[in-house]
Amino acid sequence: MKAVPLRQEIPAEAGRADSRAQAAAMIEIEGVSQTFQTSGRQNHLALSNISLSIADGAFVSILGPSGCGKSTLLYIVGGFVNPTEGVAKVKGRAITGPGPDRGPVFQEFALFPWKSVLGNVMYGPRQQGVKTAEAEAQSRRLIEMVGLKGFENFYPKELSGGMKQRVALARTLAYHPAVLLMDEPFGALDAHTRTRLQNDLLNIWERDRKTVLFVTHSVEEAVFLSDKVVVMTRAPGRIKEIVDIDLPRPRRRAELLLDPRYQKYVVDIERMIDDTGEDGLPP
Amino acid sequence: MMPARKLLSLLAPLLACVGLLAIWQAGALLLDTDSFPTALDALRAVPSILTDRESLINILDSLRRMAIGFAVGVAVSIPLGLMMGRSRAVASFFNPLLMITYPVPKAALMPIIMLWLGVGDVAKTLVIFLGVSLPVIFHSFQGAKAVEEKMLWSGAAMGLSAMQRMIRIVLPSALPEILTGCRTGLVLALITMITSEMIARQSGAGNILFNAMDMGQYDTVFAMIIIVGAMGIGFDAAFEAFRRRLVRWSEPRFDMPLSFS
Repeated sequence: MKAVPLRQEIPAEAGRADSRAQAAAMIEIEGVSQTFQTSGRQNHLALSNISLSIADGAFVSILGPSGCGKSTLLYIVGGFVNPTEGVAKVKGRAITGPGPDRGPVFQEFALFPWKSVLGNVMYGPRQQGVKTAEAEAQSRRLIEMVGLKGFENFYPKELSGGMKQRVALARTLAYHPAVLLMDEPFGALDAHTRTRLQNDLLNIWERDRKTVLFVTHSVEEAVFLSDKVVVMTRAPGRIKEIVDIDLPRPRRRAELLLDPRYQKYVVDIERMIDDTGEDGLPP
Repeated sequence: MMPARKLLSLLAPLLACVGLLAIWQAGALLLDTDSFPTALDALRAVPSILTDRESLINILDSLRRMAIGFAVGVAVSIPLGLMMGRSRAVASFFNPLLMITYPVPKAALMPIIMLWLGVGDVAKTLVIFLGVSLPVIFHSFQGAKAVEEKMLWSGAAMGLSAMQRMIRIVLPSALPEILTGCRTGLVLALITMITSEMIARQSGAGNILFNAMDMGQYDTVFAMIIIVGAMGIGFDAAFEAFRRRLVRWSEPRFDMPLSFS
């Protein structure tokens, strides 16, 4: 038997790697378009023919100007919105509605105001049939993990925006979704709180490496957090480019900000967005 | 020692009551007619009504009808209002119905209701029920409509069914608004209770009042007004205390501008 030249192995190897990637894809979006009817009875195309595959355990950001339909894409994966065309799948099964395998975290927090912090975090596990004592113990650990130990009995109205978002994150993590769907989660927070929450999110993510789909309009945030940044165009939203962020983990903000590779990613992606003319004017 | 300012704010309502009674007393003495007894005469008649067995039975009859009318009204109106708030189809079905009933004084329906159901408890309770329903439906509807979509989505992601979301998210979320409607409904229940008894005289607090009127016992008339008014203030204050306990978690924007507690 003759030794096969190494070079020739590559396509086969790549093919196998590709099929492995297919098998490990957590989310597949195939030809998804979304049309909304506006108040003027006109059809507004929000998303146009989006196809995207997200590997299990990947942190993927969707980045784009406001109105590009990036949140809509996230809602489709969440099962909150049905796509006009195309199909979205999770673990190979077509998405027909919301489910506990996909946990959303919204910019608006959407906490249950009549429940305490502990009550909010326990809600999901209780709904899944976890015994009260066990759900409480788990929830207390999660509350501690997101840095809110001592606030278990506070009501949402007594918390700051950053604290509310920590509760929302803990509430979603509590029912162990395979995918975290984060819809501009830090968009309503001040710069300082935002930075702290980004750091904490990365620390939490690095423990169990859930698949994360993260919608943002901040280039720095996307590059800092993600394995992959999906850059979208203005409405109708199309995928302009997918950028692999090849930066080592665990990432430390102070080191990263000085890293020329990080800086290059930020500048390159900012250029891509500039090219799409965010303000509707030619660049 | 209590600061003077706080003491004053506690005494203020009392002063207002005493002032009102003083004006009444002075007015009645000045006018000096049978149909306007003095405040003291009216107040003196209150205990005699409240210790009279016959009167007490009448008042308790009234309260029983009011309680049933209010309870049934709330039990029907909250689910209806919430469903209207969450479903366009349900809202468009019931909306014309409610728009027609809204401006009609419920007491004006009393003659027809009496014709069909007689002058007994059923007719009167029905009128109270109608009086309670509209504000409760309206506020439940408003409350359900204002529920944050993302809150429902969060619940759906946890695996709550549509029915569970209605009971466990829409209902508590709309509760501050619902209770505002119930508070209005409670006062309206008292008002419709008296008006129904005014039209269908047979028993009740309204019956005592109008019988006394017919017989020219004006101190009893005024005493009954005091009793009914005191009941209204009492119910409202008790309900307000109950409401506050129930929605302590809610944002202060739901607080009511006026409260008697």
